[in-house]
Amino acid sequence: MVDNGVSFRIFKDNLFKWSLVLVSFLATVPLFLILFYVAKNGISSFSWTFITHLPKPPGEAGGGILNGIVGTLLLIGWSSLLSIPLGITLGLYLSEFREGFFSYWVRLCIDVLQGTPSVVIGIVAYAWIVITMGGFSLFSGGVALSLIMVPMIVKATEETLKLIPSALKEASLALGVSYSKTIFKVIIPSGLSGIVTGILLGVARVAGETAPLLFTAFGNPFVNWNPLKPVSALPILIFNYASSPFPEWHQLAWGASLFLVTIVLLLNAVSRVVIRKWKVQF
Amino acid sequence: MKKLVLLGLVLSFLLSFVSSAKAGDSELVGAGATFPYPLYSKMFEVYHEKYGVSVNYQSIGSGGGQRQLLSRTVDFGASDGFMNNDQLAKAPAKIVHIPMVLGADVVSYNLPGRPELRFTPDVIADIFLGRITQWDDARIKANNPGVSLPSDSIVVVHRSDGSGTTHIFTDYLCKVSHQWASRVGEGVSVSWPVGLGAKGNEGVAGLIQQTPNSIGYVELIYAAKNHMSIGVIKNKSGKFIHPSISSIAAAANIPQIPEDTRVFITDSSAPGGYPLSGFTWILVYQDQNYGGRSEERAQQLVKLLWWMAHQGQQYAASLDYVQLPQKALTKTEKIIESIHYGGKRLLAEGKY
Repeated sequence: MVDNGVSFRIFKDNLFKWSLVLVSFLATVPLFLILFYVAKNGISSFSWTFITHLPKPPGEAGGGILNGIVGTLLLIGWSSLLSIPLGITLGLYLSEFREGFFSYWVRLCIDVLQGTPSVVIGIVAYAWIVITMGGFSLFSGGVALSLIMVPMIVKATEETLKLIPSALKEASLALGVSYSKTIFKVIIPSGLSGIVTGILLGVARVAGETAPLLFTAFGNPFVNWNPLKPVSALPILIFNYASSPFPEWHQLAWGASLFLVTIVLLLNAVSRVVIRKWKVQF
Repeated sequence: MKKLVLLGLVLSFLLSFVSSAKAGDSELVGAGATFPYPLYSKMFEVYHEKYGVSVNYQSIGSGGGQRQLLSRTVDFGASDGFMNNDQLAKAPAKIVHIPMVLGADVVSYNLPGRPELRFTPDVIADIFLGRITQWDDARIKANNPGVSLPSDSIVVVHRSDGSGTTHIFTDYLCKVSHQWASRVGEGVSVSWPVGLGAKGNEGVAGLIQQTPNSIGYVELIYAAKNHMSIGVIKNKSGKFIHPSISSIAAAANIPQIPEDTRVFITDSSAPGGYPLSGFTWILVYQDQNYGGRSEERAQQLVKLLWWMAHQGQQYAASLDYVQLPQKALTKTEKIIESIHYGGKRLLAEGKY
């Protein structure tokens, strides 16, 4: 009788454990299906020409996505340039001054900004910059993406720096090091892995954004380096080509999707490595 | 690590400014209709190779093209529908409509055995009004003797987003059916009495192909590229017309086109004309001297438009578009010639 009760409870425990395993496995299935499907359709269009040439008009074989690749890299560069200094500064402020009226509001604003749909950010960037400057541009796209990146960097910086023991800071100050030097030489380097991870995840996020770019970066069939002119990006390119009636363009869209997915996966993988290798243990 | 990244960033930006200084003003920007996008991208590629002028055209939809032109963020807009008087009154300056090429809507359906069906205008209107609900309805049978039609319900498919394609289709239905004109009306999007909505031409084409016994309307090129069944439609002169390059061109080759070309040529009076044809326009400001634009840029734009209306037309047929017929081309030329820069004529300096 007693034995029976125990084995039933063991059975129940096992049942629960294995259903957790099963559900977790099922949750990863869509990811692998997506990867498999994108790879299956996209791999055939991959070649050297594909990443070094501009798109061809419909009905002509060949052509590549060079404009999208260069555009995406430039957009990432500009948005990083705008968001990294701002994000780290804000994160540093929030971790240094955790209480207080101003910190509360800054934190709240960052949370709200993080929850803002990216398409709204695109419209705001359109109204602020595109209309004011009289044209679509790489710069306006960079601003839109940086607004998405800033909260991610702020959060990552704040959370990492909060974990650093205050003894470290106090030791530095006690040795007569100035406050600014303590921040730049002690606090930030100790939290660098977390900050870099935040930046990499932010980049991975904005690399795949389409909505904020439609009315800012706009797209461009040519390679453009000028920050005041429109520029293409991989998500825009995929969006345009996937909705066309031409099989050649569908093929370009699949190839570009594979390229984009690969970049995003790589960035995520690199951020894992950064966390593992650079993690400062206390 | 960080210094390297920073150095790389700084270098790339320096590079970007250096090369932008070289690029100068030889880039034109346009936005609008998705329908002519494949053709325009072909034209602009050839144009770039020939004259070194890069034209950046983005297909954001007809409505988007009109809006961007109104807010003056682009050099030209493109649209499958024309702007009405109210919209033009809101514009900061006079906008002209330039017909560039012709396209057509087709009625496409998914039936077993892929029969070629003939439709009269009233039958099309009543199917989309939900008054004919069965494929073996006597009125469909009457036009298609000898075709075996299934006794299944008709599944109507239409666009869910605003579109020039819908505007052409509903304009046609208004002309041929009083019932439609009073109950539904015309526009880029209307409240459909029956049917399923799908986004974009590609969405409607996909839904028709997946849904047995469905019927819908798409741009000719989408139906042709997807090998879909295309309906034959009775035109104003009582002939059943298949949509083709010649029948669509015929529809536009009529004397009734007004000087500003703002007209739908649906239900054309031309005897051989396909009744669901339409222009697609490029929209520009007639006075190009605005917002600090250089005269050189205005000149580039006019040269481009002239080239598109002439040499550019040869790329239309291979992509299932229809060249401008002579009567329409004359109007197009006149309108391009009327574009000026603060009163100064732009085309005088030679055309491509």
